[in-house]
Amino acid sequence: MAALLRGLRAGRLLRGLSGVVTAPTSTVPQCRSLRRGFHRAALRLQDESKSDKSSSSSSSSTSTHREQYQAHSAEQDTEAASQQDSDPNSSEQDQDEEYETEEQLQARILTAALEFVQLHGWSMEAIAAGAESLGLSSASTGMFYNGAGDLVLHFISQCNAKLTEILAEQHNQVQLGQAERKKTADFLRDAVETRLRMYIPYIETWPQAMSILLLPHNIPDSLKHLSTMVDDIWYYAGDRSTDMNWYTKRAVLTGLYNTTELVMLQDSSPDFQDTWTFLDNRIQDVVNMATTAKQMQSTGEAVAQGLMGAAVTLKNLTGLNQRR
Amino acid sequence: MAASVRLLFRRISRLSHRNINSTADSFSRRPGCCFGPFSSRCISDAAEDRNTHFGFETVPEAEKAKRVYKVFENVAEKYDIMNDAMSLGIHRLWKDMLLHVMHPQPGARLLDVAGGTGDISFRFLDYVYHQQERQKRRALGSSQTLSWQDISEKYPAEDAPHESSSVVCDINKEMLKVGKQRADSMGITSGLSWVVGDAEELPFDDDQFDIYTIAFGIRNVTHIDQALQEAFRVLKPGGRFMCLEFSKVTNPVLARLYDAYSFQVIPVLGEVIAGDWKSYQYLVESIRNFPDQEEFKGMIEDAGFCSVQYFNFTGGVVALHSGFKL
Repeated sequence: MAALLRGLRAGRLLRGLSGVVTAPTSTVPQCRSLRRGFHRAALRLQDESKSDKSSSSSSSSTSTHREQYQAHSAEQDTEAASQQDSDPNSSEQDQDEEYETEEQLQARILTAALEFVQLHGWSMEAIAAGAESLGLSSASTGMFYNGAGDLVLHFISQCNAKLTEILAEQHNQVQLGQAERKKTADFLRDAVETRLRMYIPYIETWPQAMSILLLPHNIPDSLKHLSTMVDDIWYYAGDRSTDMNWYTKRAVLTGLYNTTELVMLQDSSPDFQDTWTFLDNRIQDVVNMATTAKQMQSTGEAVAQGLMGAAVTLKNLTGLNQRR
Repeated sequence: MAASVRLLFRRISRLSHRNINSTADSFSRRPGCCFGPFSSRCISDAAEDRNTHFGFETVPEAEKAKRVYKVFENVAEKYDIMNDAMSLGIHRLWKDMLLHVMHPQPGARLLDVAGGTGDISFRFLDYVYHQQERQKRRALGSSQTLSWQDISEKYPAEDAPHESSSVVCDINKEMLKVGKQRADSMGITSGLSWVVGDAEELPFDDDQFDIYTIAFGIRNVTHIDQALQEAFRVLKPGGRFMCLEFSKVTNPVLARLYDAYSFQVIPVLGEVIAGDWKSYQYLVESIRNFPDQEEFKGMIEDAGFCSVQYFNFTGGVVALHSGFKL
C-alpha cells in the first residue's frame, strides 16, 4: 500500500520535474539555516515555475526569485529539494504566501468568519466556519489563542479603520473647499452615528460581543481601541488642545459613545431613530453644560469683583484703610 | 526466594553502575551523532553505513527500527499500567492538555501516529462528542418557543454533515491489538480505524487530515525529519501538527531530581511490573537523546510548518510542539 502510493507520488514528481532545468546535484552546505534558505528558494522556484506553466520559463524564473543566493546554486538545489519527499503543489503556493503574510492570513480568516457570526455567534465555531470557507482546515483556528476575543477585536479595529477613512475623506473635501465645515456638535454627532451604524448587521449578537470585550484579558485591548477611536474623532473635529481640555473632551465623548451604544442595544424603533434622538439630546446637554460653565465662570468673576468692591468700601467706612 | 532477590539486587546495582558510567560519558560528548562505549565503531563506519543512537548505544540505522519494534512488542501488554506507574498518573493530564490546546472542532479528522494503545484518539472522540452536545443544546436553547414538532425536525439535520473520525496508525501490531481491545471494552464502535504504518512513510494520500498528532512516539523514529515531512504531506492546508514529547527540563534542581528518578527508579519499575529492564532503560535513554525544545522547533519549521510554538508542561519534562500547514 505504501509502495503503491510511493510509486504514484514518484510519477507526479517526475512530471513536475520535466519543467525544471536539470543540473548535477553538487555538495550542498550542511548548515541548517542555509539549507532552510535554499529550501525556501527552491520551493519558491518550483512555485514560480509551476505557476508560469511553461518549461522554458523556469530558467528565466531563476533570475526573478527574491533570495540573494546565486542563481546557479539555487538551480542545483531545486534538484536536491525536489528529490526529497516533496510537498504537493497547493501547499507550496500557500507556503509562498505565508512567508510574508501570516498576520494577513489570520486577518483574512477573521474577516471571512464575520459572515458566520449571525449563525454561530462570536465564537470559535464562527472562526472555524470562516476558515473552511477559505478552503483551510478547521484546525487552523488553533492559531487564535484568544478565540472569540480575537474575532471581536478584529471586527472593532476594522470598524475603526473604516471610520478613520471616512473622516479623513470628509476632511479632505473640506480642505479642497468642496464641503462646508461642520460645527463641532454636528461633527461629533455624525461621527458617532456613522460608527454605530457599522454594528447594525450584528446587532442581535452584539451583547455577546460586548461581554467578551469585558473579559479581564481583553480589557486592555478593548480600551486601547476605544481610546484611539475617540482620539481620532476629536482630531478630525479640529481639537488641538494641549491642556486639561484634552482629557475632558475625550472623557465626554467616551461617555457619549458608550451610553449611545447601550441605548442602541435595546432600541426597537425603525432605523434606530430613538438612538439618534438620544444622541442628539446628549450632545445638546454637553453643549448646554459648556455654555453654562462659561456663564457660571463669568458670573462668578463678576460676583467676586462685586464682593471685593464691597469689602474695600467697608474698610474705607470703618477707617481701616487710612495710612498713618 | 532469597537467592532470586539477591540476584535482583545484584542486577540492579550492576546496571545502575553501568547507567552512571554511560551517562557520564554521554554527557561529556553530547553534541555529535554517536557517543557511548561504541564510538570506535562509529568512526570506522561513518563513510559507509550510517549509524544512529538507540538509547545510549550506537546502532546502524537499519537496525534501530527493528530494535524499537522489539521493545514495544515486549512492553505492549503492560504499556498503560507502566505509564501510570512511571509518571504517577500525570501522563493523563499531559494528554488532556494536548486535547485542550488542540480544541478540535466537530467534523475534524485526526491522524494519531504512534498512537499505539489509542489514548489520544479516545480523548479526541470524547472531546468532539461533548462539543457537539454543547452546540446542540445551545441551538435548541435559543429557540425555546418552538413546538415539539419543530424540535424533532431539527435533530436529524444536525448529525449528518459533520462526522469526526480518528485513524490510529502505529508501526507495531501488538500495540494496535491492545488498543483495539481497549476500544472494544469501552464500547466505541464508530469513528475509529486502526492502521499499521511507518511514520516515515505513511500509507495515506496527500491532504487527508485536519490534525496530526504524535504523542511520545517521535523520539523512536529513526529519521525524524522524514516523519515531519510525511506529516506535512498528509495534512490538509490549514491543518495542524501537534507533537507531545519528553523534553529538556530547564530548572537545574528539577533536572537533577528528574535524572535520578529516570535512571534509578524507572528501570526498576519496569523490571518489577513488566519484567523488562532493558526496554525501560531504552525508553529513558531515548529521552536524553531527543533534541531540546528550540532545536525541535527548528526542525518543525524546516519541514515547512508555520506559526510553530511550544508549551512546556511540568517544568519542561514534557513539551507540546504545534505547527500549522499554511
